[in-house]
Amino acid sequence: MSGILEIRGLTKRFGGLAAVDNVSFSVREGGISGLIGPNGAGKTTIFNLITGVYKVTEGTVSFRGSEITNLEPFRIADRGITRTFQNIRLFKNLSVYENVLTACHMSARYTIPEALFRLPRFVREEKALRAKAEDLLSIMGLTERRDVQANNLPYGLQRRLEIVRALALDPKLLLLDEPAAGMNPDETEQLMHLISGIRERFKLTVLVIEHHMDLVMRLCESIVVLNFGQKLAEGTADEIRGDPRVVEAYLGSGEN
Amino acid sequence: MIQFLQQLTNGLSIGSVYALMAVGYSLVYSIMNFSNFAHGGVIMLGAYFGFFGLTTFGLPFAAAFVLATAGTALVAIVLERIAYKPLRDRKAPFLYFIISAMGASMFLENFVIATIGPNPKPYPPIIPREPIAIGQLALGRLDLIMFLVSAGCLALLVLFIERTRLGKAIQASAYNMKASALMGINTDSVVILVFALGGFLAGVAGVFYGMKYMVYPTIGNITLKSFIAAVFGGLGSLPGAVLGSVLLGVIETLVAGYLSSQYRDLIAFVILIGVLIVRPTGIMGKTVEDKA
Amino acid sequence: MSSYTLGILMLAGINLVAVLGLSLLTGFTGLFSFGHAGFMAIGAYVGAFLTVSPARDIPGLGLPLIVGVLGGGAAAGLVSWLVGRITLNLKGDYFCIATLGFGEATRLVFNNVQRFGGSRGWPLGATRDMGDIWIILAVDVVAVILVANLVKSRHGRNMIAIREEELASQVTGIDVFRYKMVSLVISAILAGAAGVLLGNYLTFINPKIFNLTKSTELIIIVIFGGLGSISGSVLGALLLTALPEVLRFFEIWRLVFYGAAVILIMISRPQGLLGGMELTPSGIRKILAERRARLALRAEAARETAEGGSR
Repeated sequence: MSGILEIRGLTKRFGGLAAVDNVSFSVREGGISGLIGPNGAGKTTIFNLITGVYKVTEGTVSFRGSEITNLEPFRIADRGITRTFQNIRLFKNLSVYENVLTACHMSARYTIPEALFRLPRFVREEKALRAKAEDLLSIMGLTERRDVQANNLPYGLQRRLEIVRALALDPKLLLLDEPAAGMNPDETEQLMHLISGIRERFKLTVLVIEHHMDLVMRLCESIVVLNFGQKLAEGTADEIRGDPRVVEAYLGSGEN
Repeated sequence: MIQFLQQLTNGLSIGSVYALMAVGYSLVYSIMNFSNFAHGGVIMLGAYFGFFGLTTFGLPFAAAFVLATAGTALVAIVLERIAYKPLRDRKAPFLYFIISAMGASMFLENFVIATIGPNPKPYPPIIPREPIAIGQLALGRLDLIMFLVSAGCLALLVLFIERTRLGKAIQASAYNMKASALMGINTDSVVILVFALGGFLAGVAGVFYGMKYMVYPTIGNITLKSFIAAVFGGLGSLPGAVLGSVLLGVIETLVAGYLSSQYRDLIAFVILIGVLIVRPTGIMGKTVEDKA
Repeated sequence: MSSYTLGILMLAGINLVAVLGLSLLTGFTGLFSFGHAGFMAIGAYVGAFLTVSPARDIPGLGLPLIVGVLGGGAAAGLVSWLVGRITLNLKGDYFCIATLGFGEATRLVFNNVQRFGGSRGWPLGATRDMGDIWIILAVDVVAVILVANLVKSRHGRNMIAIREEELASQVTGIDVFRYKMVSLVISAILAGAAGVLLGNYLTFINPKIFNLTKSTELIIIVIFGGLGSISGSVLGALLLTALPEVLRFFEIWRLVFYGAAVILIMISRPQGLLGGMELTPSGIRKILAERRARLALRAEAARETAEGGSR
């Protein structure tokens, strides 16, 4: 069975240390998959390898049937993969609206000269970009916060804005890096609905790294477990829950 | 052959002064992660302190030397307190540090121009001009002393950093400032210490540079060479700074000797561009991937 | 208008051209260059070669000034593209040092070009033509409009995104290297054009005019006006050019004052006069909207704490 994202023998070494060691898995199109494991298991490193932030040492990443290993990050984004960050990285001094508007840039085609001289295509497409940004804000319930500077937003809304910014690229695969980190149970519950909601609405595939076991088990249709950079297990929530190796890895590391 | 050896020794001596500058600069870089462009201004003040110590106050050389180096250490600390500390407290981006440093450099240089005047002044002759002859090789006494004192200062610095508690604190902070603070190291004191050390080395460099050439307000511009040397060796690496400086000094002197002295200054930039193309992290620098 | 005032205005207008470019590079894209005097020098020398009368001691082609402005700008832009190829992949400090090195190296090169007068300089023309103010103003207006149009487009927003958060820009599909390059080349073209106008105004050029102090002065105007603000750059260029000219007796203390002011701005008001704000109708609307939003957010937070306390 081949998925929208295929990872084969993926390895990343920093100096002599393998942060990710020969990991293979695939992500089913249209689903919500989870990537879990104790701290330092290599989860975020895998995101960085998929999105081209780090260079792959060995192995391949394929997306929708074509290889994207070691492409530049912006080209990977162009192919339809986008992400959020564990430590939120918004355009801090820009307003909520400007954050989203900036990310809509790939929906327009006008060139730099067209912008310099405000030619018709610039005017037309710019209007469309603005409408799109406003739409996204309203769908995601941020219209009221439109003019707030991103770094003045409450924490939970910053996480939400980062997701909206990612959606502005019309991605086919959305990578969420610990979206519930620092959230209270209420906010986490809301986030769950948000993630399932956007999957439906935007016809997305979602791959999520998360520490909240409860959230992962309820949200994800399939789960990959990492430990010390290697794949420990893979399966449905129930299979993972019953897997003694997973239990041991988590108990052994003193988490959850 | 003799001519080559002659050029080599000249190069080593000027390279050792570059090293004093580059190490002071690299030291600050390793802790604060920004280019202290005000370092040149401190070096310039060192040259003037030494000059006035010898002429106006009529001090013996050793006393003038102490005055100059203590003075520059103090200036460096004051500079840190005024121009960088508020930025550190605010966790400002590194660009603000660089701009503040540029402002400080501009202030120091032009303050001296406005008060003392722009004209170069020669140091009083302290060290006899006639060279020491070793076989056919003629070693300038000043060059020899410059080399020995610089090497001595750098050796002391290495001992200090490797062998003392304070030195260990510097090493730890250079590795990771935040973690060091958590481990109970007073990073604020480390910063002051680093600026004091950098300032001291700047004073030594200033005095020797003034003795070799002259004192003038724009002496600090030659620190550009030490920045290049530090990049050459690998930014933030102290051994790299020394190696880069010595190499730069030797290459410059050889170019001036064998090609034309007009190309002497240009060669530094050619090296800079070469290094940036081939290996931007320099000889001893390590490549680091951005942590996402 | 007296020719003295006119002279100051011309100088401010010339500075503005260079400052606008640097404003785009530094204020909007977040790249610091200490080498833009180098691009000015390239512009000035190429412009001089195009415009100086063939009859002079060091002859040129005797073309009209506007051709010089275009040619000088183009030459500087071309060189900046080469410089960018090498330096734009470098991180913060390396880029600063590289541009600093480029500026100084350019100066040293012109010192050795005897065809252009070497370090002695190059007398360009007999007298200053005050009518050139119109050309300067025209270049200013065109530059302001073009830069303003750019920063309000998706391309400009991409540059701002790079300034704000480079890694996030990359995964948002922004070709960081390309936008840095565009920004650098545009800023160099404007610096080059300003160099041509400066040479024409001074009727004399030598490499020393384009030293590190010149680069730093340009940066200071941008910072004083406020990063990320075109109106700030315009205001900064006018004020900082006029001030020392008006306070003539201040002359030797001018740069001392500048240096101290820069430190003061950095530690107390790093956003400068108008950081991130524009004095245009839409700019003012934006400032007001952001202010309203901030106050609303604060009021809401206060209400929540009050409710939490009463529970």
